Amino acid sequence: MLDYIKGFIELIKGLGITGKHLGMHAVTLQYPEEKDVMPERSRGVVVLLSDKEDGSLNCTGCLLCMKACPTAAIIIDAPRGEDKKRVLKKFELDFTLCCYCGLCEEACNFSALKLTGKYEYSTGDKDDLLWDVNKLQDVGRDVDYEDKRRKKVAKKPAKPVVDANAKVEDKPAKAVEIKPTESADDTKPKTEGEA
Amino acid sequence: MIAIGITVALTELLGSFGLSGGLLSVITYTILAAGTFGLLSVLALFLVWWERKVAGHMQQRFGPMRNGWHGWYQTLMDGLKLLQKEDILVATRDKVVFFWAPVMCCIAAFAAYIVIPFGDGLIVADLNIGVLYIMAITTFTVIALLMAGWGSNNKYALLGGMRSAAQVVSYEVPMVASILVVVLYAGSLSTVDIVNSQSGNFLNWNIFRLPFGPIAFITFLIAAVAEANRTPFDLAEAEQELVAGFNIEYSGMKFAMFFLAEFINLFTVSAITVILFLGGWHGFAFIPTFVWFFMKTFAIVFLLIMVRWTYPRMRVDQLMEFAWKVLVPITFLNIIVAAIFKHFGWYWEL
Amino acid sequence: MSDLRTEEYDLNMGPHHPSTHGVCRLLLTMDGERVVKVVPYIGYLHRAIEKICENRSYAMCIPMLDRFEYVTSMSCNQVFSLAAERLAGIEVPERAEYLRVIMLELNRIASHLIFFGTTAMDIGALTPFLYALREREDIIDLFEMTCGQRLTYNYIRIGGVSKDIPEEFTPRCRKTIANITEKVEEYKRLLNGNPIWKMRTIGIGKLDADLALAYGASGPILRASGVDYDLRRDDPYSIYDRFDFNIPIYHNGDVYDRYMIRLDEIQESCKIVGQALDSIVEGPIKAKVSPNFKPPAGETYTRIENSRGEMGVHLVSDGSKKPFRLKARGGSYPHLQLLPEIATNCMIADLVAIFASFDVILPEVDR
Repeated sequence: MLDYIKGFIELIKGLGITGKHLGMHAVTLQYPEEKDVMPERSRGVVVLLSDKEDGSLNCTGCLLCMKACPTAAIIIDAPRGEDKKRVLKKFELDFTLCCYCGLCEEACNFSALKLTGKYEYSTGDKDDLLWDVNKLQDVGRDVDYEDKRRKKVAKKPAKPVVDANAKVEDKPAKAVEIKPTESADDTKPKTEGEA
Repeated sequence: MIAIGITVALTELLGSFGLSGGLLSVITYTILAAGTFGLLSVLALFLVWWERKVAGHMQQRFGPMRNGWHGWYQTLMDGLKLLQKEDILVATRDKVVFFWAPVMCCIAAFAAYIVIPFGDGLIVADLNIGVLYIMAITTFTVIALLMAGWGSNNKYALLGGMRSAAQVVSYEVPMVASILVVVLYAGSLSTVDIVNSQSGNFLNWNIFRLPFGPIAFITFLIAAVAEANRTPFDLAEAEQELVAGFNIEYSGMKFAMFFLAEFINLFTVSAITVILFLGGWHGFAFIPTFVWFFMKTFAIVFLLIMVRWTYPRMRVDQLMEFAWKVLVPITFLNIIVAAIFKHFGWYWEL
Repeated sequence: MSDLRTEEYDLNMGPHHPSTHGVCRLLLTMDGERVVKVVPYIGYLHRAIEKICENRSYAMCIPMLDRFEYVTSMSCNQVFSLAAERLAGIEVPERAEYLRVIMLELNRIASHLIFFGTTAMDIGALTPFLYALREREDIIDLFEMTCGQRLTYNYIRIGGVSKDIPEEFTPRCRKTIANITEKVEEYKRLLNGNPIWKMRTIGIGKLDADLALAYGASGPILRASGVDYDLRRDDPYSIYDRFDFNIPIYHNGDVYDRYMIRLDEIQESCKIVGQALDSIVEGPIKAKVSPNFKPPAGETYTRIENSRGEMGVHLVSDGSKKPFRLKARGGSYPHLQLLPEIATNCMIADLVAIFASFDVILPEVDR
């Protein structure tokens, strides 16, 4: 009998604990209206970074990130031009494959890409997850980063790279209307034509 | 009675239009039934919302927030959604039984409200066997659950249906035994008489007046939770064991009907508790009687919601054991003691 | 009544069942509510992680192994890094070791909190799950602050860790562990005395020490059966020998003990984290490791104490930059094999409780 009374008291205690929480404020957020602040180091979507001054791409097409990627989510096409410098023709990131491990960012010596705290890029169409260079650059334009590139390449401002970037740079206005895959194809002839 | 019963008033009103005889009572009761149905549907919608809110805040979440102020018409929208849903039917179901189970469940849930007084005179029919009627009609739920379990042709559903049958039948015994104590003192099975026997001071409420009233109250409440199929006795739909138990194969509006019935049952057991033990509509001050009734009932509903979200679930054999080895002896002992006390007049009547 | 014909029937529990924690399928032979036979079917989550790793460089293996046991990814990182370091003979800087211990223990707490929540939920109490996740969220925030990810960290690397902790980490971590120590007491108040909880857990799914050892059980499950065995103390790796902590032991081997031991371990882990934060040293966080990391040919079996028992990696190197063979061992696999042994002739509700108390995680079983 005593056990039942004890048990009953324990049951009341349990109610007390959950009852206490009734008065507490909720710890959750009302998501689309309220948003959590993402920490600086958050590894969200990958973006391509642009030069802080002239807005051109930092990427040199060195393929290091592509080689470091464990899931082969990065597709780069950067054949060597006449002066043995690589020309970035295609940079695509397949977010259906990306595992957000951050190895590409660590492999990059030119501060060309970064995993950011951005995350609201879900889509109903799987094709939209294959981002081309324009989209990657556009999303990354407002991203602040520590430029580790200057020390190494400041002496020779790799000319072909800047050229290639300039062309890509003109794109964004167009890229908004054109579908990502098409615009990626668009880049091709132009880059070649001017190179 | 101070006020005229709502049924009598309605009959007189309709009678003044020249109606009489059988037609008069048919129309009267149709109006009352529709009114009760409407009230209960709104109540069920409110209870679903309230439970979700309480559970949410208890778990430091918000609960529904989107539709209206703090999501007050969320349940309505859920209902509308369920209405539009495809009614997925299992090919191997037992067609008749599968179809009628949710209907039966709803009928059993609604029918109890014939004898539940919402306030002074606010009762559809004051049957002289009121409590007996409630006990009989709410037990129909178990047939509905059994039908659902059998008709679905699913092993989980069958297990759920069987569990609920065993559980409800077992808990009927301590429940009735607890009620008997009340009936013994009220001297009537009519719900109105039982409430009236608790008039006056709140010390006259059965929970305080009866010898070992709190024990009868607690045993009744435990049995009532079991009847309403709620945690810690929600074995029939035990989500973690039987996925969804008896309603595993139900979808769309059929599922909504089970859901509705569940919450109406929750209100029913709370209302019966209030009628039997907490003085029904009686209160003090000038507040209308039905307000008192609803206040008390919602207090019990709140308690049951708290219980549901706090406690783990019992196992099926422990549940039976608890009913037969603990509750039944206690309640039977309580009847004997109550009878002795009654015989010698060892109780107060203010 | 005795001539009433009864029949056993088969019940498919899973792979889409709320309490099989992922995609395990249990084929139950039932006699009414009683489970006569349990046969676990696994492989629904097989992703060939071992084979994938054999085709990746050592650095790339770590994000892959993150998915091996995603509730405690830090352990996966640690065990693989440790194996690679042992092969190559790399000395890890001291600060990195401290950071590793902090992260591993925080991850253990997070994992045990998940266990607490899901077990309570499987036994029918829904609210503790939300409380446990609330506390876990603080830990996950710490991880996110440090390495940027919430679940698959890729933080512990060969030769050290990838990033140093940010400045605000230490005060927040202290606050978090103080909060968790306090909240665990509340969990105990909420459930331990509850008669329904006791009915459902005490004496259920008894596992004796011999059987546990015979099946290769490890971790909290072994310790709940009374075997005093913890790799953090018995086969010290990293710098665990520098910390003062108890290893809780329970002797009944039932669901209740397996639940209690984890709650106690949360508190012990909080102690370790506190000590590590107190005694952490300054210095480099990563040893110099070439990007073309090629350990010399050889093999090693490295094991650590995970929240689910012994987690091991058998790493064979042929001197190239990819592992020749990688065999990952998780604690969950032997524990799942124990299920038919101790869950026969119990009620279906008990089966759920026992399954929950083993804290089996299916990706670790299927790999």
